[in-house]
Amino acid sequence: MRASEDQLRNWMIGGLNGNAGDHSALLGALVPMLQAFYRRRMRDSAEDVEDLVQETLIAVHTRRATYDTERPFGVWLFAIARYKMIDHFRRRRQTCQIEDVEHILIAEGFEDASIARMDVERLLDTLPAKQADAIRDTRLDGLSIAEAADSAGIGESDVKVSVHRGLKALAARVRGER
Amino acid sequence: MDTETLIRSLAADVKPVSRHAIGLRIGIGMVAGGLISLVLVGRVLGFRPDLDLAMHGYSFWMKWAYTASLAVGAVAASLRLARPDTPRLRWLWLLVIPMVLVAIIGVFEMKQVPASDWLAMWLGRSWRVCTWLVLLLSMPIFIGLLWSYRKLAPTRLRAAGAAAGLAAGAFAATLYCLHCPEVSAIFVLTWYTLGIGLAAAFGALVGPRLMRW
Repeated sequence: MRASEDQLRNWMIGGLNGNAGDHSALLGALVPMLQAFYRRRMRDSAEDVEDLVQETLIAVHTRRATYDTERPFGVWLFAIARYKMIDHFRRRRQTCQIEDVEHILIAEGFEDASIARMDVERLLDTLPAKQADAIRDTRLDGLSIAEAADSAGIGESDVKVSVHRGLKALAARVRGER
Repeated sequence: MDTETLIRSLAADVKPVSRHAIGLRIGIGMVAGGLISLVLVGRVLGFRPDLDLAMHGYSFWMKWAYTASLAVGAVAASLRLARPDTPRLRWLWLLVIPMVLVAIIGVFEMKQVPASDWLAMWLGRSWRVCTWLVLLLSMPIFIGLLWSYRKLAPTRLRAAGAAAGLAAGAFAATLYCLHCPEVSAIFVLTWYTLGIGLAAAFGALVGPRLMRW
């Protein structure tokens, strides 16, 4: 189970006040978080990930004075973790391969993107099937009008009209929801 | 070493940390470096002989207010850049205000004298050395700040280097005022600012190499 931001912050503040128990609880709880953070962003071996996790733990320990107790703990932690990752790449003089960049970008934007996707799907469900399909094909999946028309077995102008009406209905619904 | 052992050894050494640890550390670096620069000003360059008298005049305080306000702004930026999660630094544009004020004073001063004196006013007697002396005097302070940063966690190293260089340059210029007999605002605006700017540029250049952790 993952510790909450509040729990981590309390441990951190305990550690800053000299409480060794809090401090070791904090470092222990950070291990799985950091492992997940690095694993998701790197294609490196498990040892490399473990090295980075340890380096980050050491930095969290030796540089804990730089944590501002008024600010969120997670932001501070991941700023250090990200710095250590970039430093690792730089040390290796490793330029990411293009697939890796995509990988990192996806990992970075994953949460936002999946939340946005869920919202869109929920809204599309409220439309008639024809309009929803037309929007999904042309606006989300990147098909051309002609391809969308082919796959739905309808005329191109029908697709355009469906997209137009569907978007208009969605816009009205979004405005109404607010 | 496996991670469990590492955590145990780290947790064996948990000293309480003061809330003002960053400020203290940067303060020590600034003051230690500043003392060396002060000794250099006093022993090598010599304090200006009319220092007592000058401290009653406005131009001495104009120079000090200018360099000190830049130093304060740069130290404030350094304090923020010492944290990994640096908040925005847009307010650094406020440092333009002292420059504009000194420029206004400069224009005002130029109106008081005939145009034929402007060049002499601008170059003073020491324009050739002023910039370089400020840059030179900033080095002990910059080294002090590098020491400060060794236990801190800057993640934007170029910005942190530039801020440390700016702080060192502006503080060095403040100390240099104790030696420099120049009085005109346009002199200060040009040659002091150039020296301070070079110190900041130097910091930006070496920051990414020297501040890594």
